[in-house]
Amino acid sequence: MNTYYAANLLIFAGVDIIACLALNLQFGVSGVVNFSFIVFQAAGAYAAAVLSMPPDTAPDYSFQIYVGGYQLPFPLPWIGGAVVGALLALPIGLVVLRRLRADYQAIALLVTSIIANTVINNARPLLNGAAGLALVPQPLDGVVNTSTNSYQYLYIGLTAICVAIVWFIAARIVNSPYGRTLRAMRENEVAASALGKNPTALKMTIFVVGGAIAGLSGAILVGFLQVWAPSTWLYPETIILFAAVIVGGRGNNVGAILGALLVPVGFEEVTRLLGRMNIGPPNLIPALEWVCIGLLILGFLWFRPKGVVPEQRRVFPGAPAVEEETRWVVGKGAR
Amino acid sequence: MLSARDIHRHFEGMHAVDGVSIEVMPGRITGLIGPNGAGKSTFMAVLAGTLPASSGSIVFQGEDITRLPAYQRARRGLVRTFQLPSEFGQLTVLENLLVAAPDNRGESLLGALLGKRYWMPDETRLVAQARGLLKRFGLLPKESDYAGMLSGGQKRLVEIMRALMLRPRLLLLDEPMSGVHPSIVNEIAGYLEQLRDDGLTILMVEHELHIVDRLCDPVIVMAQGKVIGQGSMAALRRQPEVVDAYLVG
Repeated sequence: MNTYYAANLLIFAGVDIIACLALNLQFGVSGVVNFSFIVFQAAGAYAAAVLSMPPDTAPDYSFQIYVGGYQLPFPLPWIGGAVVGALLALPIGLVVLRRLRADYQAIALLVTSIIANTVINNARPLLNGAAGLALVPQPLDGVVNTSTNSYQYLYIGLTAICVAIVWFIAARIVNSPYGRTLRAMRENEVAASALGKNPTALKMTIFVVGGAIAGLSGAILVGFLQVWAPSTWLYPETIILFAAVIVGGRGNNVGAILGALLVPVGFEEVTRLLGRMNIGPPNLIPALEWVCIGLLILGFLWFRPKGVVPEQRRVFPGAPAVEEETRWVVGKGAR
Repeated sequence: MLSARDIHRHFEGMHAVDGVSIEVMPGRITGLIGPNGAGKSTFMAVLAGTLPASSGSIVFQGEDITRLPAYQRARRGLVRTFQLPSEFGQLTVLENLLVAAPDNRGESLLGALLGKRYWMPDETRLVAQARGLLKRFGLLPKESDYAGMLSGGQKRLVEIMRALMLRPRLLLLDEPMSGVHPSIVNEIAGYLEQLRDDGLTILMVEHELHIVDRLCDPVIVMAQGKVIGQGSMAALRRQPEVVDAYLVG
C-alpha cells in the first residue's frame, strides 16, 4: 500500500466520520431528516476553496471564474468553511424547519439539495459552474513542501485533530440534558412542545451545528482533493451518509463512526476494487453499488432498525437519592 | 384561574368547537365530559395551544394567552397530557421526567458544550426530585426501563409525573384512564385526588363516569362542539338535554 493510497483512505475516512457525526446529531439524535446534508459540505468546500485561492485574474487561475479569491492562510479557510456551513443553515432552517411537518421537511430539504446543485451548475460566474474549481491550494502551501510523503502524514494529522474536536462536541451534546431534549423531540415533537420545549429553536440550533461540522468536512476534503465541482455533491451522496448512520446505529456517536467506516469508506472501497476487475459491462459495478446501498438501508430498517451499535440506554448511577417531599409540583409554573 | 371565552375551532367548514366558554376554578378537578365527537379533545388542544383557536380568547392567570404557542403556555404552568400515549418511548422513565424539568443549565447548546461540571448540580437536584415523584407514584423500580415498554397504565402515570415536573398551575388531562386496566384506574384516581388535595388545579376529559363522579366538581358537558350543561354530576343528571345527549344508559 503506497503512502498516497493510505493517506487517501484515512483522510476520506476522517471526512466521512466528521460528516456522519454531524448527520447523526441532526437525524439520529434530533430526528431532522436532512436530505440536503451534502449541500452544507459543498458550501464549506467552496468557501474554503475561494478563501484560499488567489483571485481568478491571477495568471494560473484565469481559466476559471469565481467570486472571492482571498488567499487566506491556513486554518482560516477551514474555519471559514465551517462558518459558511453554519450561516447557510440559518436561512434554509428558517424556511424549512419552522412550519412544515417532519415528512414535508425531508422533501423540502431534498428539493433544496437539487436546486442548490442546479444553481451552482448553471451560474458559472459564481463558482465556475459545472467545471468547478481547480488548483485549490493545499493547507500550508508555500510554508511546507506539499508534495512530500511527510505532508500526507501532516494532512492525516490535521484531519485527525478535526475528528477529535468534532467527536468532543458531539459527545458533549449527546450526553447532556440538551441532547436528551433533542431525543425527546425526535420521539414526539408535539409532546415535547407541550412540556415547554421550543421545537423550532431546538431544530435550528442542531441544524446550524450540523451545518458547521458539514462545512468543516467539506473544507478538509477540498484541501486534499484540490478540486470541487457540482458532480461531487449530487444529492445521492447524502443517501450514502444516511445509510452509514442507519447501519452504524442512529443516535450513537460510536455507531456513526462505525457506519462511516463500513459504508462510505468500506463499501465504496470494495466497489472500487471490484470495478478494477472488469466484471460485466463498464458501469455495472457502480450501478450495483447503488442497488446494494438501497438494499442495505432497507435491510437494516427491516431487520435491525437500531443499527449495529444501538443508542445507549442512559442509566443514572448510584442508590436512588429521593426527595421525599413532592408538594413542589404544585403551582409555581416553570417560568 | 383559566377563562375561555367563545372559543371556535373549525376544520375546513366543520365546527369542532363552536362557541365554548368555560371558567376553571383553582384547587378543583373540573370534569369535561360528552359523547364521542363532542369536541372535548379539540377544545383541550386549543386550551393548551397544540391547536390554534379559530376565534375566541383564553385568559390564564390574568394573562391573555390566546396567541401563545404551546411551549410558552407550558412554561407559564398550563400543562397537558394526551388522549393517546405520548411517552418518549426510546427514553427511560427517569429521562422522560427529566426532559420536562425546567431550570437545567445543561438544556441549552452552550450549557451542553460547557460540560458536566457546569450542569451536573442541576441534574443531580432534578434526578432527586424525579425519583421522589417516581416513589410517590410507585414507579421507582422502573426508572431505567424504556418508557415505550411500560403498560398502558404505567405510561399514563409517566405522562402525569412528567407534567408535574413542570410545576403546573393547571393540569389538562385528556382521558387519563383511556387504555388503562380497570385495576389501575382507581389507583390513578387516588393519585389525582392527592394532587387536588395538595392544591393542584386539574381540568380533565374523561369517559369513565364513576371516576368523574368521584373526582370532578364541577363538570362541564359538551355535545356537537357546544357546552350543553355545567354543574355537579347530581345536578347534571336532572337536566334532560344532558341525559339525552350523554347520560342515557
